[in-house]
This record gives sequence, C-alpha cells and structure tokens, in this order.
Amino acid sequence: MRSRGDRQAQSVHTLAGAYAMDAVSHAERARFERHLSGCDACRQEVRGLREATAALGAAAAVRPPDALRERVLRAAGRTRQVPPAVSEVPVRRDRDRRRLGLRPRMAMAVGGAAAAVGVAVAAGVVTYDMQNRLDQAQGRDLTVAAVLTASDARMMSARVSTGGTATVVMSHREHALVFTAAHLSSLPVAERYELWLIGPAGARPAGMISASGRGRMVGPMVVSGLSAGDQIGITVEPASGSPRPTSPPLVMVSLAG
Amino acid sequence: MTGSGRGPAGEPAGRAETGGQAGRRRAADDLGVLLGRVALGDEEAYAAVYDRTAGQVLGVVRAVVRDPAQSEEVVQEVLLDVWRSASRFDAQRGSASAWVMTLAHRRAVDRVRSEQKAAERERRVPSSATAYDEVAEAVEARLDRERVRRCLASLTELQRESVTLAYYGGYTYREVAELLGVAIGTVKTRMRDGLIRLRDCLGVDS
Repeated sequence: MRSRGDRQAQSVHTLAGAYAMDAVSHAERARFERHLSGCDACRQEVRGLREATAALGAAAAVRPPDALRERVLRAAGRTRQVPPAVSEVPVRRDRDRRRLGLRPRMAMAVGGAAAAVGVAVAAGVVTYDMQNRLDQAQGRDLTVAAVLTASDARMMSARVSTGGTATVVMSHREHALVFTAAHLSSLPVAERYELWLIGPAGARPAGMISASGRGRMVGPMVVSGLSAGDQIGITVEPASGSPRPTSPPLVMVSLAG
Repeated sequence: MTGSGRGPAGEPAGRAETGGQAGRRRAADDLGVLLGRVALGDEEAYAAVYDRTAGQVLGVVRAVVRDPAQSEEVVQEVLLDVWRSASRFDAQRGSASAWVMTLAHRRAVDRVRSEQKAAERERRVPSSATAYDEVAEAVEARLDRERVRRCLASLTELQRESVTLAYYGGYTYREVAELLGVAIGTVKTRMRDGLIRLRDCLGVDS
C-alpha cells in the first residue's frame, strides 16, 4: 500500500497536463512549481507538453491589425528591460572593469541601469517605487551591486513605526545586505537613527543613518557579516552613536532564510 | 491564414510533414537567436520577433479572452513582456516559441479569471454543451494547420474536449470537470494523457 506522501506526490504529478495549460488555480500553480523544482522528470515532461500547447496556440494564429505593430514597437522603445542574468552574459566593458577593479558580476550590475529589476522579479514583492529608489541608489556603491545581483538576493520592506519605510536587500551568499530607507521622520539635531544587527547574542552596531532632510531616501548602506538568526533594526540614538541600543527599535526586519 | 503578413510566420499550412518539421525547427532556432538579440536591447530584432509571434499570440489570446479590444490589450502586454524579459528566455528549458506562447496563454487566462471574479462569472455561465461547441467552433475556424487538426482528432473524445476547453477556453480543470460532468481526477488524467498524445503526434518533444 502506498503511503500518503506517495499518493500526494502522484496526485501532484498528475497535474502536469493541467499545469501546462494554465488550467490550475494560482495556489495549485505555486504548489506544482515547488514540486517541479525538485523533479527533473516532471520538468522534462512539462517542457514537452508546453511544446504541444504552443503548437495548439500557433494553430490559432490570426493576422494582427497593422496599428498594433506600431503601438507595440513604440511602447517597447519606452520600456526598460530586465537585465540579462549575470552568468549568461558575455562580459563587456573590460576597460571600465579594469579601471574600477571590479569583479565581472559587479561590472555587469553597474552597467545595467535596471539591475534592481532583476531583484524585484526574484523577490516578487517589490513595488515599482522601491525598485526605482534602489535603481537611483545603486550606482553609488559597487558593493551594493554585488548584493543586488546575488542569485539569492531577497528584498524585504517594513514600515518604521515613527514614519517611513525601511527596505533591505540581502544575500546570505554575499554575507551582506543593503539597507535603504525613505521618508523617515526628521530628528532633532542631537539625535540620529542607528542601524543594528540584532542576533541571539545581542545587538551589534551596523552604522549611523545619515538622513538629510525630510522625505529623502537614505542609504544605500552596506552591512556585512550577517549571521544566522540576525534581524536588522533601527533605533534613535544620540548623534554620536551608541555601542548598544538605548531605545526600543522602531522597526525590525527578520533576515531569516 | 498566416501569423502575420510581414514576416516569415512559420511554415505554410499543408506542407509535407517532414519539410514542415524541419522548417519549424529552423524557425524556432531563429526565434531563439532573435530573442537573444532582443535581450541586449536590439529593437530591430524585436520587430522581427513581433512579426513572427504577434499572429500566434493574438490567436491564442483571442481564443481565451474573446473580446477583441481586450485581446489586443493583452497581446500588447504579452509582447511588451517579451521585450522586457527576453533575457529570461532559456533555450535549455524549451523552445522560444513555447516560451512566448506560455507567456501569452498565461496572461490571457489571468485576464479572464480576474475579470470573472469581478463580474461573478456572468460572462461565462456555461451549460456544458454550448460551452464546448462554442469554443470548439471558434477554434476550429482557425485551425488551419492540418497537422494540429489531425493530431487533435487522434485523441479520445474526452481527452480532446478536456484539452480544448482548458487551452482554448481558458477553463480550469475543475471547471472542465463540471462542464463535462466528469470526476476531477479523470479530467486531470485526460488532460495529461491528451497532451502527451498530442506531443507525440506532433513530434514536438525536443
């Protein structure tokens, strides 16, 4: 007799046809894609079935209206592209790279104006606005680019309790994160925001946040040396900074996973 | 009917099968190469991709979405998506044409389903017989490719109905089960078996 797990796997597998035709709910699609990621045979099968459905689609071809062509081509000219995945791209800008002493992947990231879009797609939770802010920021710091283009980059965003938004892109592979914030409330001159890595062993200072004026974006700040179980938090501290937090965090972002 | 009057839009209907298959492979390879250029921002290559794919994309989107104006909107979204994310096309994971058609079909069903939610599915109150006939008729009128028609005809009736309703009709397998009055598990199996048979008949498994 088959175990429940076997039956479930079997039943998930049967979904290959429905999945290849998008005849599944969003939840089923997500579940099946998780299954696919660990099943070579299933991926192979879906690939074949997709070729069959593509042929079905091609058979239904009709002549598109002429005006559509111009409209689409014009719109494309105004639309920014997702940058190529780093490993698939021939390395260019050799001269720039030498001059800056960059590793190729960083050079690619700095070269592509829209590198953050790739991260946005990977994280799947990012608003256009956030991506835009990171775009503007990334040219300023090359380490930022390494994190943004890391294959395991994840982006998270949280509201700061006193106003504003904190955004973190982190890569465990790079052992680093990039922190940005926007629209933080302004503080009296004697006070500043301080960033902390907060782990099981306590809080380590991760840098003073230099906010210049209300509503402005701050950062990007690079924080390296992440450990398992770390969270990142912000507190308000005396302008010179504190070795340990002296006030409760205004926001905490878990870096798990 | 061809995909588009502007470019080499795939093989002409009715060509001998082996020649057609070879032509299709070549066309597919070319499309992949074009997508590579599009990924690097080549607008000329993109125009060529448009000419090759717009007719097919419109065909499948219109089958699912039906409303002509909305279909054009979706087609535009799909083709912009092709431009935007051409770098994500990975030839290891399937042909360029399958990649584009997958984007197209998925967007089309997403459009229909989100609209359905809003409109409480008023647009599609299918009584089983009319739903299948409607979809089948609309599609058959466009199935000008002998090969696909012949392969579809080689499926069992239940396989063919399941595949047709799901792919061209944009119905979920649960809806298909309801429409056809068949158990959900049966429909899932028939969809898979039907597509496998179709794939083998078309000789498209790469």
